[in-house]
Amino acid sequence: MGGACEILLDGLGKKEAKKLSALGIKEVGRIERKYSRYRKESIVSKINAAAGVDWTECDQETAGLLEYTEMLYQSSGGLFDVTSGVLRRAWDFDKAAVPDPEELFPLLPLVGWNRVERRENAVRLPDEGMQLDFGGIGKEYAADAAAEVLCDHGARHGYVNLAGDIKVIGPRPDGEAWVIGIRDPRNPAGLIASIPVGAGAIATSGDYERFFESCGRRYCHIINPVTGFPVTFWRSVTVLAPLATTAGSCTTIAMLMGQDGLNYLKETGFKYLAVDQSGRTYYHH
Amino acid sequence: MFHELNDMRKQRELCQNRKASVLGALLASAAMLLPLANLVYADAAPEKGMVGIKYLNYHDSQTGDTPLTAGMSRDRIDVNALSFMGMVPIDGKWTIAGTFIEDSVTGASPAYHGWGFPAETASGASGDLRHAGDLNVTRYFSRGTLTLGTSYSEESDYKSLGCSLNGTLSTESKNTTLSLGTALNSDTIDLDRDTVVGGKRNPDPGRKTVFSGLLGVTRVVAQNDIMQMTMTMTHGYGYYSDPYKDPDIRPGHRNMFTFMTRWNHHFEGPNGTARLSYRYYSDSFGIKGHTFDAEYVQPLSNDWQITPLVRYYSQSAADFYVPTGSDPLVMTPTTGMAHYSEDQRLSAFGALSFGIKISKEFGDEWLADVKYEHSQQCYDWGINGKGDPGIPTFNMRAIQIGVSRKF
Repeated sequence: MGGACEILLDGLGKKEAKKLSALGIKEVGRIERKYSRYRKESIVSKINAAAGVDWTECDQETAGLLEYTEMLYQSSGGLFDVTSGVLRRAWDFDKAAVPDPEELFPLLPLVGWNRVERRENAVRLPDEGMQLDFGGIGKEYAADAAAEVLCDHGARHGYVNLAGDIKVIGPRPDGEAWVIGIRDPRNPAGLIASIPVGAGAIATSGDYERFFESCGRRYCHIINPVTGFPVTFWRSVTVLAPLATTAGSCTTIAMLMGQDGLNYLKETGFKYLAVDQSGRTYYHH
Repeated sequence: MFHELNDMRKQRELCQNRKASVLGALLASAAMLLPLANLVYADAAPEKGMVGIKYLNYHDSQTGDTPLTAGMSRDRIDVNALSFMGMVPIDGKWTIAGTFIEDSVTGASPAYHGWGFPAETASGASGDLRHAGDLNVTRYFSRGTLTLGTSYSEESDYKSLGCSLNGTLSTESKNTTLSLGTALNSDTIDLDRDTVVGGKRNPDPGRKTVFSGLLGVTRVVAQNDIMQMTMTMTHGYGYYSDPYKDPDIRPGHRNMFTFMTRWNHHFEGPNGTARLSYRYYSDSFGIKGHTFDAEYVQPLSNDWQITPLVRYYSQSAADFYVPTGSDPLVMTPTTGMAHYSEDQRLSAFGALSFGIKISKEFGDEWLADVKYEHSQQCYDWGINGKGDPGIPTFNMRAIQIGVSRKF
């Protein structure tokens, strides 16, 4: 899942809390196995392996996820594109070098959610080399799904935190909200805010999660599928929404939209906290 | 043992189904929470092109069902029309769309109030082949569209040419759209024909020029409600009289005003949409009209869709309409009047229409639909203006069949 994960349950006996958290971890594991592009047996790997060739059958959950990605694509005017993961072939963050245009530009035609063919129970990537990547949704979806399972089994107080994307199951047993610290995007040890969250979810996207610097410029892991280059306007965007999936999608879309992202955040009506490249903060609470 | 296994399997299936639906609902709600996910796309150019063909069969008749109009029952006009339409998106930012129609009209409308049909079926105004077409080019911008259009229509005695420019502009949130438009039409009527009534025959054609302007606002008022208001002003001058009717001299200009308001409401439960509209019309001939329209679009399983519709229209008479007297077969004197007409379309009446449209999609590409509409119009059904009891009841039915394909 790429980051520290925790399930915090309160108001239960130790034994029960352990039993329940195991169920939550199992659910997160199930989603990771099913949707990670790094796992050979995942449905995503199967769809990607059949790119340009064949349809891949998908179950109801996957179809639902694909429908959700369609909505993301529409809501973001085509910027949130789950086929843009292929650009990472050029943007190697371990190598920490800006790719050559000859390397990057041939990949751009492989990006295009609007060309992905879908039937009720099957999906097909039209061109060989195209890839689906639920990296921008999977973690948040897993947090929501795990919280749902825990809630179903009687958990009332606690949260699921998957590398900073948090779905709250319920407030502290005394009714108080959990206080979630928001990391300073330029100081890993510092916080820029502490936000009380008693219900719903909170998610953050930032240019500090995976990045490298070259010639004084920062290149982060969120790549604009139109230009093929990482986004630069925001240092970090945090959104509070009823679901982690929505909160996470909104933060990513705002990062992708650059300056227009602020209008998008206003439109959502959700609480947000955004920090631009000059360190200026924008918020609605 | 077997039963037990079966039960366990069922239980597991149930459990999995429940889980799938819970997770499905979770993703659906996650999507619903995104800002205007369905609407942000409004100004995006269509990704697919379309070609289609439609066939229309139209028939009308009049019924003499009052003591005054007894004996006037007869069939009037039949129209068979074939239309072809196509739309091509270009480069994700443009579309070019066009329509071509060929229709043939047989039969005739009455020369006087409700009688006076030419002996032969083909009179000057009918028994005609008409060709019409239009071409529109649209440019899509992130927050609006601009459309340039041209149109033409031609039949043996009538030619019309038009051009138009329409634009839309949406607010940043895309929930309010402003529409602005203007159009110019130029018509030519051939008056040098045997069928034109004596006093109106002229080697020079009659000409008419019509300008119009449109202003509209569409607003998403709630998740499931869209409201629209449109105002159209039209100014025309030139030849407005009917060359085939005798006591018929109309003013040389006509100003028209329409105000239209629409409300679309989507019902989540049945997943259907109601479309309601009201249109007010008024012109310098003195006609005032009210149109109430209601239709309901209900999607059914297997990509079927059914749309029942109902419409009510009422109009007052033109200032210069000459009503029938105690005997509708006797011409009413028009001495001393500058403008006069016996055309029943200028009288006061009310009309009620019912229709139904059924369509089915085949895959993502093919769409077929069939529509039936029936309408009846009567002198005493209006709500504004007193009707003319000497005008027979008018009936109309139209059947339209269409097939289209996206590519």
